[in-house]
Amino acid sequence: MTWYFAGVDIGSTMTKVVIMSDGGDICSQVIGPTGAEHRRLANRVMQEALDRAKLSFPEISYVVATGYGRLNVPFADSEITELTCHAKGVASLFPEVKTAIDIGGQDAKGLKIKSGKLIDFVMNNKCAAGTGRFLEVTAATLGLRLEDLGTISAKSTHRVKISSTCTIFAQQEIVSRLSEGVAVEDVVAGLHDAIAVRVVGMTRRLKIEPVVVLTGGVAKNTGVVKAVREKIEHEVFVPPNPLLSGAIGGAILGRDIVLGALKEGKPIPKKERALEEVTFFN
Amino acid sequence: MAEEKKKKAIDRLKAMYPLRARIDEVYKNSVKAMREGKPTAWSMVNWWEGDPIIMAMGVEAVYPENYGAACAAAGAAPAYLERAGADGFPDHICGYARNCIGYTARMKDLGEIPPEAPMGGMPKPVLLMSAGSLCDARYKWFQALGRYLDAPVWVLELPHLGVKEGLMEGAYDQAIRFMVEELREFVGFLEKLLGKKMDWDKLEDISNDIIDMNRIWYETNELRKARPCPMHSRDFWTCMTGCLYPAGDLKALKKMYQDLYDEVKYRVENKIAACPNEKYRLVFAELPPWHSLKFFDRLAERGWSFVVESWAYHPPKPIDLSQVKDPLERIAKFTYQWFAGYFEESEKQGEQMGYFGYPYLEYARDWQCDGALLHPLLSCRTATNHLMYVQDRLIQKLNVPSLVASGDIVDLTLFDPEDTLRRAEAFEETMDHYKEVRKKEGLGW
Amino acid sequence: MSEKSRGLSKVEEICSQRSGRAKELKDEGKKIMGYFCIYPPLEMLSALDLLPYRILGDMREPITKADACLPTVVCPFDRSALDLGLKGKYDFLDGVVWAHVCEVGEKTAHVWRTYLNPAYFHFVDIPHTIHKPAQNQFVQQLKDFQKTLMSFTGKKLTSEMLVEAINAHNEQRSLVRKLYDLRKPDPPLISGSEVIKTLKAIMSLPVKEGSELLREVISEVGERKDGVPFRPVRLLIWGSIIDDTPLIEMMEELGANVVMDDTCVGSRAFFPDVKLTPDPLEGLAYRYLVDLKCPRTFKESTYGETKKDYLTDLRSRFSYISDYAKEWKVSGVVLQSVRYCDIHGYEVPGLGDYLDSVGLPHTYIEHTYDERSLAPLRTRIQAFLEIIRS
Repeated sequence: MTWYFAGVDIGSTMTKVVIMSDGGDICSQVIGPTGAEHRRLANRVMQEALDRAKLSFPEISYVVATGYGRLNVPFADSEITELTCHAKGVASLFPEVKTAIDIGGQDAKGLKIKSGKLIDFVMNNKCAAGTGRFLEVTAATLGLRLEDLGTISAKSTHRVKISSTCTIFAQQEIVSRLSEGVAVEDVVAGLHDAIAVRVVGMTRRLKIEPVVVLTGGVAKNTGVVKAVREKIEHEVFVPPNPLLSGAIGGAILGRDIVLGALKEGKPIPKKERALEEVTFFN
Repeated sequence: MAEEKKKKAIDRLKAMYPLRARIDEVYKNSVKAMREGKPTAWSMVNWWEGDPIIMAMGVEAVYPENYGAACAAAGAAPAYLERAGADGFPDHICGYARNCIGYTARMKDLGEIPPEAPMGGMPKPVLLMSAGSLCDARYKWFQALGRYLDAPVWVLELPHLGVKEGLMEGAYDQAIRFMVEELREFVGFLEKLLGKKMDWDKLEDISNDIIDMNRIWYETNELRKARPCPMHSRDFWTCMTGCLYPAGDLKALKKMYQDLYDEVKYRVENKIAACPNEKYRLVFAELPPWHSLKFFDRLAERGWSFVVESWAYHPPKPIDLSQVKDPLERIAKFTYQWFAGYFEESEKQGEQMGYFGYPYLEYARDWQCDGALLHPLLSCRTATNHLMYVQDRLIQKLNVPSLVASGDIVDLTLFDPEDTLRRAEAFEETMDHYKEVRKKEGLGW
Repeated sequence: MSEKSRGLSKVEEICSQRSGRAKELKDEGKKIMGYFCIYPPLEMLSALDLLPYRILGDMREPITKADACLPTVVCPFDRSALDLGLKGKYDFLDGVVWAHVCEVGEKTAHVWRTYLNPAYFHFVDIPHTIHKPAQNQFVQQLKDFQKTLMSFTGKKLTSEMLVEAINAHNEQRSLVRKLYDLRKPDPPLISGSEVIKTLKAIMSLPVKEGSELLREVISEVGERKDGVPFRPVRLLIWGSIIDDTPLIEMMEELGANVVMDDTCVGSRAFFPDVKLTPDPLEGLAYRYLVDLKCPRTFKESTYGETKKDYLTDLRSRFSYISDYAKEWKVSGVVLQSVRYCDIHGYEVPGLGDYLDSVGLPHTYIEHTYDERSLAPLRTRIQAFLEIIRS
């Protein structure tokens, strides 16, 4: 009999769901909008993942919710921080990983991992600089799409140094650089560099050791990956789908909880749950 | 068409130039001596409490606080700040401390002075001479350096009594007794550390020179009360370092301060102004934007003459130490006078912050200031957290308004001189207004 | 205040209106002396029949008036306390005693004095080291404090009065230690939040009433059946002042019992006793300057030692924390500090090194004292607990 586990990573903009079997195979993975206001659409993303896996909700033995919106998820059995889940997910893809850097939409994290487990972390969830938000704001100022930033910065020949550490001041700075005639690709490369400086600087508190993995939505930006690689003396790896590490980790942790309970002859610590809209209030 | 030679906005003192050159030379000699193996102490600015003692024992002092300013100006600070952050030091602590911590960590990694360090860096010290005066960073920081250096830390004690408490019967004598006992312990400690005895005659000589030199410097600054003001703050900030960080041949240095005094006196007698266009007289608090001092020239063009500044850097009001036999007692009294010398007046005026606070009231009144320029610094709270209080006391008691221009000690991008210049005109109107208010209230200026 | 309430319910009542008892006593003619931080010797106040009332902040009250006096980049706890003062919340105090606890604390004292102008104010200077001359100086400072106190109260302070007060306060301290013993079992018999509230309550009462309340609480929690639930992680919390419960409650919610602390509405304030000395002021000075464990005082492993060994230095400064961890069976240490606190900020890396050396997991969190600044810490604390449990 096959057991199924789900990891649901409810981010500020995107919800990621991974359904995994006890053998470790990923049955489906979906990325969809979290939705404004009380994360209402997360359950729809879950439904889509179930449809793709051709499973019904009761067939999922354990659901772990993680991410920004992990609290009060009526269809989860437990909630685990994205720090622990990302570490687990990254370690499943890169078993030798010791340092992971996760740059999300609203925050950035540095993870220290040993034998596949999180042992220390640093986090920035107070300041937009060094997160996806920094790129969102500055890309908007430049009139560019986020998904194009990587290819644009690849054309840069004279990367600009953005000295402002604050997102708001950086906006002003890039406007003045452009008005001086600086090429937009050089400005974008400068922004990538600025984000890399912040994030790598933060992660250095953990003493960066190889294997180093970069994950999170911003890791899809090839320009940022390049800038981070320049700052770290080791090789930096990126998972094929960097948005999914948290959900993968959540599913694995769910599996560990269930198999652990079975091994010890204890009841599975499930909750009464239904696939309903996520709300603020339970 | 002949070009008119642009008249300088600030007429710098001629005697400033050789004094500045001398200070630079002394510094270079100091660096050379350290490279050649002279024992080095990393020292906080200690207002003459510890410097004469280590000087008398043949130890060279370097000042990591100043080195922080040098690194900031040379653009070397960010890398050291980053290193301090990576080593777990919170980012709100003193910029100079973080710079030093990052520098020291790097020096430990390399086993030698980092090659990229500006101005030849700071050599490995035999002693970390810390101080309890004014701010907590100054002893916590050196304590934290134990992570990277095995040099012992000595904390120089300076009692911080309140105004009322400092004037209680016996309080002064007890404070001095405490300081002297501690300094005696310090001497014993140094003798053990360096394996040699204190040269008491040398200490006597050095401390007398320092006290005398500061007396001359004090009197020079008193002359700035004159109208028009003969000496601008820029000259103060350039020249103060010789008095605050005594080094090298003190007698030669003293002579240069005497030359400075003579020139300022001459200017007073002949009504020569530092700002030929003196329209407004201003006081500045607290630490100047070292990297942007030309900014004051532009204000001088508008007629802003900075006539007094930076209480913490000013020499103590002179006291008669001629009857004091023990050089340690002389040093203790002199340093304590720097801290508490304004207490009596402060008490008379009903003011509670006898240091950092009340002195600005005295400055504004006695140097006849029309306004104050206050410079809060993001990562130096000690030089910042009294400025709002100063602003309030100045307006409440003396009808002297303040203009605030923020900056930082290591992130030099935070100071925006253009912004201050944009607000200058409006502030001039404010100063004009309060001049009228003061006239009506019968205040002298 | 209800006559009938006892123990923990009395603690709740007092915490909801801290100044209640003080105001009652004031109406009966007693004088209330506010004190800031744990350095002013309370015995000197109690000996003169003054009610020592600890000045605290309010993390739920937005700071408004203090912004005119102190910039926002300084200790938010100081600013909050000053803010409450400026809003009149401490007008019932007959006098205030402050001490040179830290640089911002010192300036705040002068600001308080200027704008609130209390009838009595005394600032006690505290040396930075614990060298013998420093100890003597602190005795002198206490003598000066005694002078102004006697002048204010019109009473003479004798050695006998001081000894009696020392004994009363030592007794209270031993009761607090008994209370802390109740945190040793698993689950502890009293929660971290209940302890803070209890200590806050006794910091608002005369010493003997505080001791009585402690006895009630100790007896009550010793007997109750449904006390603190079992939680999988036991924490020690270190750092700057925590004078209210939201942070501890967050940790409890996330699955940890805070079973021990090294903070000043906590063990720092109560643990060392005063030793009786021929001149009682000397014993007082020694306890408050040397024995109190606050990083504002510079302590070194060997006074005047010319070579410094880092680990030896760390052990001399922090070994008491691993002693606490052993005695209270702690599985992790949370280092917390208000932002802009230098006294604790500089300690964090060294303390981290020490805890690594003794194998205690730790994490550092920083907040701005107000309640809203705690929410972003939730994920950090939860992840730390997940690490300990894995």
